This record gives sequence, structure tokens and C-alpha cells, in this order.
Amino acid sequence: MPEEHDFEGQSLAHVTRRHFLEAGATGIGATALAMLLGCDPPRGTAGPGIARNLLDPLSPLAPHFAPKAKRVIYLHMAGAPSQLELFDYKPVLARLDGQLCPESLMKGKRFAFIRGIPKMLGPQAPFKQYGESRAWLSDHLPHFSRIVDDVAFLKAMRTDQFNHAPAQLMVHTGSPRIGRPSIGSWVTYGLGSENQNLPAFVVLLSGGVGPDAGASVYGSGFLPSVYQGVQCRSSGDPVLFLSDPKGLPRDLRRKSLDAINALNQREHETVQDPEILTRIAQYEMAFRMQLSVPEAMDIEKEPASIHEMYGTTPGATSFANNCLLARRLAERGVRFVQLFHWGWDSHGASASEALNKGFFDRCKETDRAIAALVTDLKQRGLLDETLIVWGGEFGRTPMQENRSGADNPFIGRDHNAGAFTMWLAGGGIKGGVTHGETDDIGYEGISGQTDVNDLHATLLRQLGFDHQRLIYRFQGRDFRLTDVSGKPIREIIA
Amino acid sequence: MNKRIWLAAAGVLAVVLVVRGAGSSGGAVDFNRDIRPIFNKKCVACHGGVRQQADLSLLFREDALKPAKSGKRPIVPGDPDASEVVRRITHPDAHDRMPKGRDPLSADEIAAIKRWIRQGAPWEPHWAYVKPIAAPLPAVSKPGWPLTDLDRFVMARLDREGLNPSAEASCPALARRVSLDLIGLPPTPARTDRLCADRDPKAYERYVDELLASPRFGERWAAMWLDLARYADSQGYEKDPSRSIWKFRDWVVQAFNRDMPFDRFTVEQLAGDLLPNPTDDQRTATAFHRNTMTNDEGGTDDEEHRTAAVIDRVNTTFVVWQGTSMGCAQCHGHPYDPFRHQDYYRAFAYFNNTADWDQTDDHPVLPSFPADKEREGRALYAVIRGLKARAESLTATPAIQAARRQWETQLMVPSVAGKLKDTWQNEVLRIARTPEAERDGEQKMMLDWVYSEVTDDPALAAARKERDKTWGRINKLTPALTPVMEELPPARGRRTHVFERGNFLVHGPEVEPGVPASIGPRPTGLEPNRLGLARWLIHPDNPLPGRVIVNRFWEQLFGIGLVETGEDFGTQGAPPSNQALLDWLAVRFTTTDHWRVKSLLRDVVLSATYRQSSVTTPALTERDPQNRLLARGPRYRLTAEQIRDQALSVAGLLSDRMLGPSVMPPQPDGVWQRPYSGEVWKTATDQDRFRRALYTLWKRTAPYPAMLTFDSPSREFCVSRRVRTNTPLQALVTLNDPAFLEAAAALARRMAGDGTPADVDQALGRGYRLALLRTPDQASLAVLRTLYQAALAHYRDHLGDGDSLGGAVDFRPEQAALTVVANAILNLDQFVTKE
Repeated sequence: MPEEHDFEGQSLAHVTRRHFLEAGATGIGATALAMLLGCDPPRGTAGPGIARNLLDPLSPLAPHFAPKAKRVIYLHMAGAPSQLELFDYKPVLARLDGQLCPESLMKGKRFAFIRGIPKMLGPQAPFKQYGESRAWLSDHLPHFSRIVDDVAFLKAMRTDQFNHAPAQLMVHTGSPRIGRPSIGSWVTYGLGSENQNLPAFVVLLSGGVGPDAGASVYGSGFLPSVYQGVQCRSSGDPVLFLSDPKGLPRDLRRKSLDAINALNQREHETVQDPEILTRIAQYEMAFRMQLSVPEAMDIEKEPASIHEMYGTTPGATSFANNCLLARRLAERGVRFVQLFHWGWDSHGASASEALNKGFFDRCKETDRAIAALVTDLKQRGLLDETLIVWGGEFGRTPMQENRSGADNPFIGRDHNAGAFTMWLAGGGIKGGVTHGETDDIGYEGISGQTDVNDLHATLLRQLGFDHQRLIYRFQGRDFRLTDVSGKPIREIIA
Repeated sequence: MNKRIWLAAAGVLAVVLVVRGAGSSGGAVDFNRDIRPIFNKKCVACHGGVRQQADLSLLFREDALKPAKSGKRPIVPGDPDASEVVRRITHPDAHDRMPKGRDPLSADEIAAIKRWIRQGAPWEPHWAYVKPIAAPLPAVSKPGWPLTDLDRFVMARLDREGLNPSAEASCPALARRVSLDLIGLPPTPARTDRLCADRDPKAYERYVDELLASPRFGERWAAMWLDLARYADSQGYEKDPSRSIWKFRDWVVQAFNRDMPFDRFTVEQLAGDLLPNPTDDQRTATAFHRNTMTNDEGGTDDEEHRTAAVIDRVNTTFVVWQGTSMGCAQCHGHPYDPFRHQDYYRAFAYFNNTADWDQTDDHPVLPSFPADKEREGRALYAVIRGLKARAESLTATPAIQAARRQWETQLMVPSVAGKLKDTWQNEVLRIARTPEAERDGEQKMMLDWVYSEVTDDPALAAARKERDKTWGRINKLTPALTPVMEELPPARGRRTHVFERGNFLVHGPEVEPGVPASIGPRPTGLEPNRLGLARWLIHPDNPLPGRVIVNRFWEQLFGIGLVETGEDFGTQGAPPSNQALLDWLAVRFTTTDHWRVKSLLRDVVLSATYRQSSVTTPALTERDPQNRLLARGPRYRLTAEQIRDQALSVAGLLSDRMLGPSVMPPQPDGVWQRPYSGEVWKTATDQDRFRRALYTLWKRTAPYPAMLTFDSPSREFCVSRRVRTNTPLQALVTLNDPAFLEAAAALARRMAGDGTPADVDQALGRGYRLALLRTPDQASLAVLRTLYQAALAHYRDHLGDGDSLGGAVDFRPEQAALTVVANAILNLDQFVTKE
């Protein structure tokens, strides 16, 4: 698409949006009433202008063109898992194990922790090939071996950030500094939601702590805050303030809502402000959400076979539970489900972050559930329309990091922004392909290199967006998720 | 441009504005009205600030007149036939016709361009870059309606639209509206009654003056300003550690309360440190621009993040005071507004000379001590300053300088550089690689300082030790260490270069401080530093600040600005809905009112326009959904701060404690669960639970959930305008958040009076009145009574339920039932709305 055209799209967008805001409010009352009466709200359009109604900001919108994927499940492995122990098999590196790193590899590089001259570190796991695609996998991922033909690997991903918080922000917002909207925010801004009784963009955390960059990685930045991710928690209220106060039974809550609505209705008769009808709809939606969120979050009634398949334990806070929840939310039309699993920062500074210890545990915590999620969505016919993305925020060095000296029993690697592996599945992505290749030691890409902007452009494309036209004006400038670059990765698109 | 002024002086500007489009059928062409929109829509994408294909840009007249790459002159004033632009837009061959690959311009558009060129191709500045003038008061159809002068501009517009203004709002509604607007809190029923019973025509005016004099006033308006200042109690980024900058928040509260003129308010925040003999207060004001983020992650580059902070200061300054987005010009010329790439870095140069550089301790800071420790604290701080001077003079000795040069040569060895703090390494190495003669003052100082920090020289090591010890003693006195702006002395200044494509490592030409020429020439006699910039921002010749500032306050009262895009007064921003009104207000504010915000607000809230009832009709809503024409009063959902403060206030819980360190009211567990952060949320148990929202501790990576749900930004960057949204999560906050339940239980106690309510209807009516300042009619009362009876029946059967609802043991069923009703009242649309 010629660039000139995009520009006009952007200016038009601005006019359209403003025009809508000026003209749109008359429709609000009608929409709210329609919703009260149980009708589907009218569909808007996410064309260049993305006309929208901020009083009903999550009503479904159509993207630029027919989408392959309707929703996204994004599995973020916070801390950055080592590609060299999972997917990127490097026999040459095994031969170099223990040798001093040549200075040429250190030149011009910035490391978070490596100081001086480190030693090379061979792969810390045996690898074998699986599936029709003959994909290499380490022995850490026995379950994943069953789904290799469903996924597309990006082996030569790169980023320009080598610290966790900025790199996570980069992966999730396209910018290393806080303040930009996350992918899920852009997507819900562009598409709205198919289920008004659940949050449109749900975030599920496991591993004990949240992501390094905090809520900013699922924040809405300068987009209206309605588009930020809503963290659903496995203990306590799944959504903040979802439960009725202790001592206020459900039927009494219903009666109090009836009273609120009745008084609001009377107010509307006098004041005639259509926003009052929207308020009534808002409270009804909240009431329904109070039922539908716990229902969606309750995995207890899932059959034993499913629990066995995912490795789930009802009531626990675990990545496996979150994978099962992700499927349940996807089934219910949630647009974007974002999982974070903490603990992949394998520096070797302690047992929990050692490639020969904690890393095993992370693999065990995730491998079965991920395979189950892909398989389960497939058997339900949902994989075609659900895009799954897996990855960390950067990769790890082929050099060993050894902060505490020679006797360290723990093995680890430092951060490497130059190369890491991500994979995608479902949602119109080719299965059983590998795109991109790294050098003999997995340090940098040598072909098919892709970056975060390309990944985002691909995601948006599968959802039906031209990433150059999904825009929002802030501080007088048109912003997009991919900023000024990004290209859909056609090699992995079915 | 002169034509405009002449027209305005003749008092017919308004009329001319109505008959927009006249230029397309004949007569004088108006560049801004008839030509610029065509250029912006059809041409500047390729011939603008980013792309200048064929070496043609249509943003500046001088560029459009000079020969393009082909040698042909795009525009020849007076001669359309000789103008290449005309030849190309009318070219019969689609291949050569502009806009390339698009539909040709319409016959009207072509005719307008030709006529404009024939008339000499006059280039008018964009409307916002022309100094506002106060037009004479227009004549109106109903001379009895206007109460103040501004009403006449509103009415003139309504006359043209054939609309009538609405009747005045009811007294209680107006009392509540103006109180929420001016102090962010509702009045008490008693005060409302007193006002509404007062027959004196000046009663409302006196009420307004009382609100303007209230100490609550500053708290309400600080809440607005802190969004612009991107105020937060943490540094941002990964660890997001706490930052002690609440003294700045207090400064803002007090400045509004004292009605500090806005020009002074501006100068003190941007350059208080550069005023002669600045007071501590004036230095505290400069913390405005120390609200930028600080990054202390391993391996980061302090110079990179220092630069990011300076960029944020430039962008914020221009958005806040100029309604102008400079962000685009950071990487290239502005695509459609007349700002050049160099303009950005000339503005950058003003801010590029402060001593802060992304350090964890937020250096430089202004310490302030508890009263009883002030003397000791100041003495110790004087010791610190003495030690700093001693270290500097020691470092300047030839012996140390020689040692420093020796050390520099070794810096290329990783093990030597590795001893430096990791976030310093990149910048130190960059400087060390620069030949000494080419370093600027700041770079020389930086190396001297870093060397003095790492050297083993006994005298310097002793000075360091002494300094650290002294800091230890200072910290024991629990000072507030407020980050402030501190200018580097000229000899140690930085040089500023254009960053090519916005990259701080790729230097273009060196630039001097300066302001964009298109907004107007920099008046002579201003200092070439931040102080000069601050004075220019509020200079009488600057066309923007009066309009931009007035528009911000207007937006707070009416829910939408006269210019809807308050952050963008440029060519791509929204045009004003009533420019004559905006300009009149701007002129009055900056001249007659002497930049006094209280005078401005007083003018507006005393107007008939403001006092109108917000009741609408379907026809009026359809005609003017956003109320841009002002045929009715404002009606909008309250802000996040107002929603909390109002609930606490009507419940009788709100603490009136002002100022001081930020507080931790109840919030759900787990919000602060972050890696590498040992900080914990210690929920207040005293009246700090019930402070105004303004005082709630603001952590950038984990803001207070209820605030965020009601559309407050997370304060990473300056957000000029909150977008109001409507989500079920908001309903869940006011229905179920324990903080709101606590308010409902307290309101229930007030409803009951002492003990069990003798008369249920009376109790219900009291609650309704406490919250909404109105007496419920019979039907509304019946709704509340039905709810009360149902709740009472439940709690009589389930005594324990009532206890947990009120959070107290032995909560009587009657009180529990009243709590349910109070909770409902606090969720009514009228309650969360300013009517």
C-alpha cells in the first residue's frame, strides 16, 4: 500500500472520530435500550476512523478486512527463557563449551551482568527431531513434541532492549518506555468485545510475581483506560470488587439494582440525558459480569480428563490453571487473554534461576499445559480462529554468566537481545514451519530476522487490521502499535 | 492577516465566520479557511515536513515560492498560469496530475487555489498563531438574558443557530454544580438551604466567593494540574522506587489557594531556580519538570535516559502551555504544522542544561527538614556543599588532572571501566573517546566528577567518606528530599545538537536555544535559558497561552473545551466551537484579570451560560449532542477524584487534613505485587484512610485501582485531557469497593440520627438529601422504602449478615438495611454526575 494513502487514512480517521463524537451521542440511548432489551448492539466499523461510542466502548467493531483470527491468547514467559535449551539446537556450541569467548563477540555489546571475558556454554539439554516437520526440540519439552506440526517458529527474533522491564514493554507495547498502549489494548480498541459480560482483555498471572514492568505491560497507555487489561485472579475476587460485599446476598443486590435503575429511569424522564440510559445498561452489565466472571473462572466442573490433560488443580494459582482458563475465556468470546509466567531469568545466580535446576521446573510447569491448550482448542474447532503466541522478552547468550565465581554449582546465561525464539499457532498461522535462522552459536540471526514490530504487524494482520491504519491520535501525533516500522511475516501466514 | 484584524475591529468578525465557504464562490480567498485545508488533506503528505518530494513543501510560504527540483516555481504570486502547482493539479494526463494516483481536486478547489494565487498567494498563519483580540460585545436577540459579557458571545452564537438558552438550573442543582466545580466537593444541605432561602440577588455571588476562598479550592485544581505535571510518587520503570516529591504537590495546592497569577505560576515551575535569589518555595516549584521518570536498571545508559527526560520536558511544556505537539519534530520536520526539525532541538537546548542525569537519588534535591531538626539539617547540608566545593578544587589541581588523564587512557580496558557504576559506563566512555579539546563544559565536569568518585587519592577519598557520613546523618533527620531543577553554570554547560532521526547518539548541527519562529519571533531582551523560555511562554505577544489555559479551565467546567483538542491547537486540532468567545476570554484573562485563575473562574461561573439547567430534550440532544453551542448547562460524570471525595464527604468521613506526604488508604491485596521491590502498602488506620484522593500515594506501575477505573491516567507522561468512559468495572467499584461500603455505612449512621430511626421515611429522605441536596418526591421515596423493607426483612432473619456489612459487631438490622439504601444512593446517576 502506498504510503501517501496511509497518511490520508490518518487524517480522515481524525475527522471521522471527531465527527462521530459530535454526531454519535444520539445513538447512545437507542443502543443502551437495545442492550437492556437483550438485542445485539449494532455493529460499528473499525475502518480507518474506527468510529466508536465511548459510552459503549467495547461494542464489537469490524476490522479493516476479513480476519483469520478472532482472538489472541498470548503466553509470555517473563524473565526470557533460553532458546538454546528449548528450540534452537546448536551442536557447534556444544563443541565450544568451556572455551573463552572470543573478544570479537563481545565488541559493541551491552550485557546486563557479564563482565570481563566469559566462557562459551553448550546446550544444557539433549535435542531430538519430532513430527512431520522434523522440528528440533530439547528433552525438556516432551509434551510439546506432539504439537510441533501446529506451530510456526520464529527462530531469529530480535529486540533492541536487554533489560527485562523495557524489553517486556517493547514486546507488549512496541516501545521500551512506559506510556504506550499494550497489544491487547490496541486489539480491544480496534475490535471491541464479543462478550459484554466479561472483560474484553483479561490478564492471568502465575509464578508468584507480576511482570517486571508492572501493569504497564497490559496498560492502555494513552488509549482510554477502558482498554487496559483486567487482571483476573485465581484467589479472592477474580476481578477487583467483583463480589458483592460480605453480608449482602444476591437477591438483595438485585433489589438494590432495581431501586437504582428505577430512580435513574425517573431521572431520565426529567433530564432526558441519554447518558442516564447508558448508566442503567452499565449497572446491568456489572450485575451480569458478577455471575459470568466467576462462572468462566471456575474450572472445578471441568471433567477429570481435561484436568489430566492440562495438569490442573482447581483452586491453585498455576500456569496450567491459567491455560485452562484461557481456553474457557476464549470459548466465551474474550478478545485477548494475556498470560504471564514468571521465573525464566536463568542467570545461574541461584538454584531457582539455574538452567540445571529452576529452568527444569519452569518447563515442567508449562510444557504439558501448553500442549493441552493447543490440542484442546483444536479438538473444539477453536484453534483456527484463536491465535496463540508464545515467547519471552529477549533471548539468552551462548556465553555462560558466572557472577559468583568458579565454584558456582548453578549454570546460567545472560540476556541476549540479538536472538530469541518465539512461536505462533492457530489463527491462520501455518503449522510445522520454521522461519529465521541464527548463527552456529545462536547468538544472532543470520536469515529471516524478525523483530517485535513485525510480530505485532502479523498479529494485527491475522485479526484483520492493516497495522499502518490502526491508529490513535495523542499529543497531536498519530500513534500505532508498530510505530514507524513493522511488516507482517508472510512466511508463516497460511 | 491584517484583513482579519481590520474586520474584527469593525465588529463584523462573527458575521464573517458564519458565512464560511463564501470564498469558494467568489470574493477574497481566506488562506486558512479555503486553501490550507486543501493543502493539508491532499498535498502535505508528500510535500510537507516529513516528505518533500520534488523539493517542494507547502507548509511555509518561502518554501512554496522557491523553485522546486525541476527549477520550476510551484507558486508565482499573482500569476496562476505561471504556477507549476496549478499546471499539475489541472494536468490532463493522470500520470502527471497531482495528487498523484488519487482523484483530482474538485473544480471548486482548483478555482479557489487559482483565485488565491491571483490575489497574491497571501499566507496567513494558522488562526491559533495570530494574537487573539477581544472583539466588541455582539448584539443579541434577548438583551435580558446575558448576566455577564461572555454570555453575549454565547447568545450571539445561539441566535445564529436559531436556538434559545435554557432556564436557570434549580438553586440546589446550581449550588452543587458550582461547589463540585470549584472545590471538588458538594455543599452541605444546610449551606444549600441557606443559599436557596437567601433572597438577596448577590447571594449566589457571595456563595461563589466563599468557595473561591475555601482551602479546598487548591486541592481541587491541583488534581487537574497534577495530570499535566505527570505527578507521581515513584520514579517509574522496573523497580519503580518511591520518590519524595509531594512538596511539589503541596506547592501547587497552595499556589492555587493563594491565587498566584498564572504567569508567575508558569515562571516559577519552569525556571524558579533561575530567578534572582530564589526561595525554597520557588525551587520546589521547579519539581514540575522533575516528575520525569528515572531508570536505574542494570546496564542502562544514564545519558540515554537523561535525554529521554529532557525530551519529555520539551513535549510536556509545549502541550501544557502552547497546546502544541512538538513530538513529531523530534525525528523530522513536523508533517503538517510549521515546525522544523531544528525548532525541536532549539527548544530542547533550553532544557538541556540542568544538573540532573537519571540518578537513583534523583540528584539534585532540595532537602527540607522537620521544624525541630531544621537548624541541624541546614548545617549538615552546608557541610555537604563545602565538601563538594573541596572535591572540585582538589580535582582541579594539576596533579589530579594528570592522574585523571592517565586514568582515561586506561578506561578502554574493560576491567577498569567495569569498576564504574554500570549505568555510567557508556557515557563516561563516550566522553573519554572525545578529544579533551572538543568536550563541552558538562562533559569535562562529568569526567572530573566521576574520577573524583573512583580515585584512590587520599584527599579525595577522605572527602567522599566525610560526605557519605554526613549524608548518613542528614538522612537520620528524615528530610524530604525534593528533586529540583538546577542549571549548570555556563562554563559547565552542555552543547546541544540536533539528533538525527531522534537518535541521541547521532549528532547533527549544533543549535542555540530558541523558540519556533512560526509561533512568533522571540521578543528581544529575554534570557537565552529556561527563564527566557518561561517568559516567552506567557509573553503578551505569544498568541497561544491565554487561549490554551482558558480552554483548559473551560473544559473542566463544561466537560469539553471550546477547542475540543486542548492538547492540539495546530492545524490538525479541532477548530474552536466559538473563537470569538475563546479569544475574548483569553484577552480578558491575560489583561484585565492579570492571569488570576480565581477571577477567570468567577467570571465563568457567574455567567448565565454556566447557570443554565442541564435538562435537555431529544431534539436538542440530536442537534447538539456534545453541547458545543451551550444551549444548556453542563452535565457530566464526575472525575475519579470527585467520586471518591464526594462519597467520603456526604458520609461525614472526609478528613480535612491538608498537604504532607502521600497516604495509603485501603486498597485490595496484591496490587503492589512486583519483582525486585520490597515496598509494601501499609494501609492507614487513622484519618489518612479518608484523605482526599489527591493525597493517595501514586505508584506509576501500580496506580490506585479505583482511580484508574474512573479514567485517571497512570501519570507516566503528561495527559492533557482525560477521556471519560463508561464500563461495568466502574459500577463494581462504587457498589462493592470496601472504601465505598465504608462510606455507605457511615452515611447510614447519619441517616439514622441517634440510634434506631424513629421515622423510616425521614431517615431515607435525610440520606437522599445529604447525598443529592434534594428532597425525594413520593415516588422516589417509595422506591427507597421498598428496598429498605426488603433489606430489613433480610437482616432481621440473618443478624450476622448485617454485622459483616457494616464492618462492626452488633450492627442492628435497621442500620444494615439503611446501609444497603445508602449504598444504592451513592450509586445513583445523579450522584456520580455533575448536573
